[in-house]
Amino acid sequence: MTGEDLACAAALLDLPGMTPVRLARVLDGFGPVLAWHAVRAGTHPGDRSRRFAASARRVVPADVLARYRDAGVALLLPDAVGYPAALAGDPGAPAVLTAVGDPTVVDGRPAVAVVGTRSATPYGVSVAAELGRGLAASGVVVVSGLALGIDAAAHAGALDAGPAAVPPVAVVGTGLDVVYPWGNRSLWQRVAATGAVLSEAPLGTPALPRVFPARNRIIAALADVVVVVECHGKGGSFHTVEAAARRSVPVCAVPGSVRSPASRGTNGLLVDGCAPVRDLDDVLTALALARGGRGVGRTDRADTRRPPDPRLGGLDRAERAVWESVDDTPTTVETVLLRTDLAVATVGVAVEALVARGLLVEGAGWWSRT
Amino acid sequence: MIASIPSAVLRGVDARSVSVEVHVANGLPGFTVVGLPDAAVRESRDRVRAAVTSSGLPWPRRRVTVNLAPSGMRKGGAGLDLPIAVGVLVASGVLDAAAVAGLAFVGELGLDGSLRGVPGVLVLADALVGSRVVVADVDGAEAAAADADIVTAASLSEVVARCTGRRPWPDVARPPAGPPGGIPAPSDRGDLADVRGQLLARRALEVAATGGHHLLLVGPPGAGKTLLATRLPDLLPDLDPATAREVARIRSVAAEVGVTGGRSARPPFRAPHHGLSSVAMIGGGRAALHPGEIGLAHGGVLFLDEFGEFPTTVLDALRQPLEDGVVRISRSGRSACCPARFLLVAAMNPCPCGEGGVPGACRCTPAARARYGRRLSGPLLDRFDLAVRVDRPAAADLLAPPSGESTATVAARVSVARGRARRRGVPVNAELAAVDLDRAAPLDGAAADTLARHLRTGRLSARGLHRVRRMARTIADLDAGAEVVTGGHVAEALLLRGGRGLLLGEEVR
Repeated sequence: MTGEDLACAAALLDLPGMTPVRLARVLDGFGPVLAWHAVRAGTHPGDRSRRFAASARRVVPADVLARYRDAGVALLLPDAVGYPAALAGDPGAPAVLTAVGDPTVVDGRPAVAVVGTRSATPYGVSVAAELGRGLAASGVVVVSGLALGIDAAAHAGALDAGPAAVPPVAVVGTGLDVVYPWGNRSLWQRVAATGAVLSEAPLGTPALPRVFPARNRIIAALADVVVVVECHGKGGSFHTVEAAARRSVPVCAVPGSVRSPASRGTNGLLVDGCAPVRDLDDVLTALALARGGRGVGRTDRADTRRPPDPRLGGLDRAERAVWESVDDTPTTVETVLLRTDLAVATVGVAVEALVARGLLVEGAGWWSRT
Repeated sequence: MIASIPSAVLRGVDARSVSVEVHVANGLPGFTVVGLPDAAVRESRDRVRAAVTSSGLPWPRRRVTVNLAPSGMRKGGAGLDLPIAVGVLVASGVLDAAAVAGLAFVGELGLDGSLRGVPGVLVLADALVGSRVVVADVDGAEAAAADADIVTAASLSEVVARCTGRRPWPDVARPPAGPPGGIPAPSDRGDLADVRGQLLARRALEVAATGGHHLLLVGPPGAGKTLLATRLPDLLPDLDPATAREVARIRSVAAEVGVTGGRSARPPFRAPHHGLSSVAMIGGGRAALHPGEIGLAHGGVLFLDEFGEFPTTVLDALRQPLEDGVVRISRSGRSACCPARFLLVAAMNPCPCGEGGVPGACRCTPAARARYGRRLSGPLLDRFDLAVRVDRPAAADLLAPPSGESTATVAARVSVARGRARRRGVPVNAELAAVDLDRAAPLDGAAADTLARHLRTGRLSARGLHRVRRMARTIADLDAGAEVVTGGHVAEALLLRGGRGLLLGEEVR
């Protein structure tokens, strides 16, 4: 792979109006240099309408490549070093991938995608973080999309697993100089610093609705197993599930309360025959099956078991009643009042005490167990 | 000949006395009105002339000039018809000047000489204290509440007959002096007992009614937010005589916009649709500067359903009156003040899809939610002491017989608790000054600890602290009048306060 190859690939990727599908067509059967000159001359058989000829003539490929280098973004081409091996044989593989960090962390390691809704409950967030932490500590690459909610929790869990753990990999929909969502920027930096952030979008691509389903197919292609922690009936997570199903990547789902809207999709997946995930072991078993019996080493078997909570001792009657009326899904004030039959002031005092002890998380008008 | 007849015109919810001067002189026959009349007053020339002739009275075949003094003030409304007609009759010698001495006139004339009512007659009559005020008989009942001496007539010819002494003025029945006090009678708005479940929102209504704390109800469509809000005015005690009088004056002036006049001791309830303009909300328009919805809600409840759908400009215009209890309307060259001390109750969906508020339930994109939240300015949301989430009641609750307390039970508690606030020197606890809080709402140890913890964690700001203390004071007043605010009162106040997150939902991290 020469510098000219990379420059021409960057220039093609960067052309206005270029999409992953068009780029794949333009580079199909051509080297980047040949494809670039054909597009520029308007003679490329994959661009009969000469859509890109005029804009290509105004571009100097070396300048485009310099821009990517200045941004600290690497370009990965199929068959070259750094391009994930899992993607190489994939029918929908991106023709050009951009990366920040070390994309080789996925090579030779098992990978599990932990995905789910942005509008997650505290239950989903804590389960995603627990799985992310356990998987990373077990030598598994956690792949996710750096979205709010489940994705962020999975990445954060994997990063918290300690220096010896495997760093996570994120696949994002936007250009790698656009951090989206902005609220996850520190997480984005940490994933890029330890693992890798990948994207098939050119620099500067904003958060357009179409980039996210496309990103999800890369997540599914990178993973050996997809775990859906929480999702609603339809939406982004289902794109990942469908992409995984097309690639025969097993999909597992974390069961949730039948009353929780955020678990409607995952419970539906269980009904459809996906394997349930109760804890890390379930994921590791699915992973071993998916990889033809090659299991992964466990390092933290004790860590994922929840010890009985010592903080529950010494609660008074009202506090215990309130604690028992709140579950893992967000429970509104009204529900607690109905379940406990206590006065508003009594519930208020009990909640103050439970929150102070760290037994409940408090939201605006709801609580949930920690 | 010259005549000068006292009358009055409206200016906002006040009236200014006007002297109608009529001069009849030799010259080319004609009829002019000067002194900044608006269109309705200019048109009164034709009405007055027709009314005088159809009443069988002579019209002077000379030059008639009418001046409305003070001539620098713009004057509007048809109430000047009658004083102009009487002035013409006096100036042309049909009526003796002595016959109308001490009389003031307010009324609109029909072409047949009949006398019609005018909006704001109560306020107009109040401006003419010291004279005997002649009004249309349809206006008699409303005007009788004024301090002035009121007499009525049905037509111009009756006015002439009574002035000349051929028939004495009839007595006008005065309404009873003060409104009745005590627990309000049930209204047709429905009872609180009809509300199933909704324990938190019920309590919020009670606290709002007691302490005058503005209330925001957040919940999905069909949860019963409107049902709850309409129960609030019946929880309020009767208006005190001074406020009842202000309310009657505002209603009288607004008669033109379809509100019935008259005096009532019950607090008003206004629920404008979200399509209303800023002028309709605040007041203004026309020469007279009409009261808007917030003026009409004075002393009572202003309910804004679908709060998020109101234009931002209309909502932000609420901020100043919410703070001052008075709205000042200014237009070029004129301004008016209208009292506007009301309890604001707003209801809205937590997000565009309506299901949000609790993590995991909402299907809106974060961007859509943020856009929805931005419609309401922070300073406006800050005005709501109480913000509670209202969820759809469970099916079992809907089918069960009503179990909650009735309006009468809660209203009795509210009335007693309000009495405690009044003894502290404020009408309601929401108006307690921050400097008085330590004296009026002393905290016990547990209460201080709870507040300190919330301040430390940043869940409570300094301004929020004062609001919570006022609410806790109200809750203590409801709790058998505890002198010291306890941890329980503060915890309840914090629960009822909700917070901004209630509206926007939150991402769990």
